[in-house]
Amino acid sequence: MPPRARQPQRRPARPVTITAVVDPVAALASENLDDNLYLYDTNRAAGSTGFGTPGLRSLVRKGDTLLWNVLPLECETYVSLTGIEIDPQIAEPVRKVYPGTDIAFWTAEVKQDITEPVPYRLSFLLGTVSTPFTPTARPTLAGPAPEGR
Amino acid sequence: MAQQHGIIVLFDVENALRTRSLDGNTYWFDNMKFLGSTGVGTEHLETIVPGTYFLDGSQATEQVLNWLPAALGSIPPTVPRNYLAEQGRAEERRTLDELAALNTEGGVNEADVKRLQEQVGTYAEDPGGRGFTAAKVLDVTGKATSSSDAYNYPAPVITDITGQAVAEKIIYPAQYGSPDMVYDGWYWAATVDTSRPGVYPYTLHVQLHELVKRNGELVWESVDLTCESSLKIITDPKRNGFTGAGLGVLPLPPVPAPAG
Amino acid sequence: MKEKVNIIVMVDAVGALSDRTLHNGNLSLIDDSTAGSRHQGTPDLVTAVVPGQVVHWTPIHVDVQTPVEIQSIEFLSGAAVPPPAETAPEPASDWTADEAAPGGTAGEPAASYPVASYPVEVPVPAVDATASNGFKNGDLLVWEGVVPYDMVPGVPYRYRLSLKLHEGPNSVLYVDSPALLRV
Repeated sequence: MPPRARQPQRRPARPVTITAVVDPVAALASENLDDNLYLYDTNRAAGSTGFGTPGLRSLVRKGDTLLWNVLPLECETYVSLTGIEIDPQIAEPVRKVYPGTDIAFWTAEVKQDITEPVPYRLSFLLGTVSTPFTPTARPTLAGPAPEGR
Repeated sequence: MAQQHGIIVLFDVENALRTRSLDGNTYWFDNMKFLGSTGVGTEHLETIVPGTYFLDGSQATEQVLNWLPAALGSIPPTVPRNYLAEQGRAEERRTLDELAALNTEGGVNEADVKRLQEQVGTYAEDPGGRGFTAAKVLDVTGKATSSSDAYNYPAPVITDITGQAVAEKIIYPAQYGSPDMVYDGWYWAATVDTSRPGVYPYTLHVQLHELVKRNGELVWESVDLTCESSLKIITDPKRNGFTGAGLGVLPLPPVPAPAG
Repeated sequence: MKEKVNIIVMVDAVGALSDRTLHNGNLSLIDDSTAGSRHQGTPDLVTAVVPGQVVHWTPIHVDVQTPVEIQSIEFLSGAAVPPPAETAPEPASDWTADEAAPGGTAGEPAASYPVASYPVEVPVPAVDATASNGFKNGDLLVWEGVVPYDMVPGVPYRYRLSLKLHEGPNSVLYVDSPALLRV
């Protein structure tokens, strides 16, 4: 029997944060973002996997607020998240800045419960290069594991 | 000249506070993977410290380590250190302006007051812990919040570095910077004695902070935890780039190239 | 006369890696010669030297945490030196590894007109910079040498300065513009 739907309790207001740790100098020198991108989220207890890889699989639910941000390994080097491409039926990320700064983050609400994992694409600006870098590996949003697993 | 190595430790503060342990809740980074660091991005980082010495045996390059803690899911450390304080003040100024505007308009309704209350957010007091000034509580997007479920975790604070690497005098860690938690943080750095190669573990002592309700007031409480990493010290002799050994004559051509 | 002349190689590593060139202000060469060096602070530094002096190059990075290493210093020869048998016969073929990262050579006549006077680096056996853990570490190399007495006065001896910024296919960048000049 499926678990009883949870109480319609208001979800905690802290979003599920997905943090991209980037080594920008290594990525520029090697022209390989995949080996120099480490993704994490705050939902490991809920079942997210792939921590520390560019293929992070974040476990999310309908109604969750998601927040993406960036942590550069060399703090003097410019790194920013310039785009998130994802099925707009699942989420429509919006770029925002921390008030009073030009440091960006992206947020979105998960519009529906996810049955099949939804891959998405992140792109970054590194250093002073005007063309965005995109990892080959795709992170995904996934719903709670189906029963029996 | 000194070679600086930054070691960034990313803490899953929420999980760590829930489990009261840093096991599985830290991710370590340095930028020395290309020189042989292993486990970058995991809980098991081994930081390479590539020492060099001159032919007379003296240490050639001073190696300096810097530790930078960061909280996963929080306002990233790239946002200036005094941001939380400045942002709290900016919110207050805005609220005062709006209060003044309400007065001049004459009518004050309940909705306005409620909105302003939310805008003012919540101050949390520090019950005697070290260095935490009464600071406005911000959420993870930098806005003031009155929700104890939404607050931005402050960056973890390193309080000490101990363990074999310290006991055997491989590193000499010391704290730099200001103890003012809002305008700056504790800043730990160490010089490394690279004359004794080997793998040396060390323990990071870390203080996390959580917002708890006590007698109806929100207060910051500190939680002290530890986590481990290690340094791999190697040391190699310097050699001349032209000769591969000692000093020699510059390899000039018989005829130099014409002006380019 | 000073016993030693220091040449400081200062690099904006992120700028150089982003622009894929050591030009655009990403490289600044400065020396402490008292014999009348020219073009201080530029990639075209001409360092005035006298025979018997030791010249020492030191790399410095503008951003403290980005490693900058000298990959090689190769003096450019005006005489056509036959390329080693195992390398391709094209005059510039040994530059192809750095093709995506040209220093100042792309527009030079030497590259376009491979005649007798094209610059050729004096072949220098590469010194092994492998550390005891099996990883290459350019910090192991000391770049210094004695100015020889048979150096011709008044003629700049240009050299190719190759720098390695971190690691990977785009990490090595070079310039052919700096020189030593015997006064």
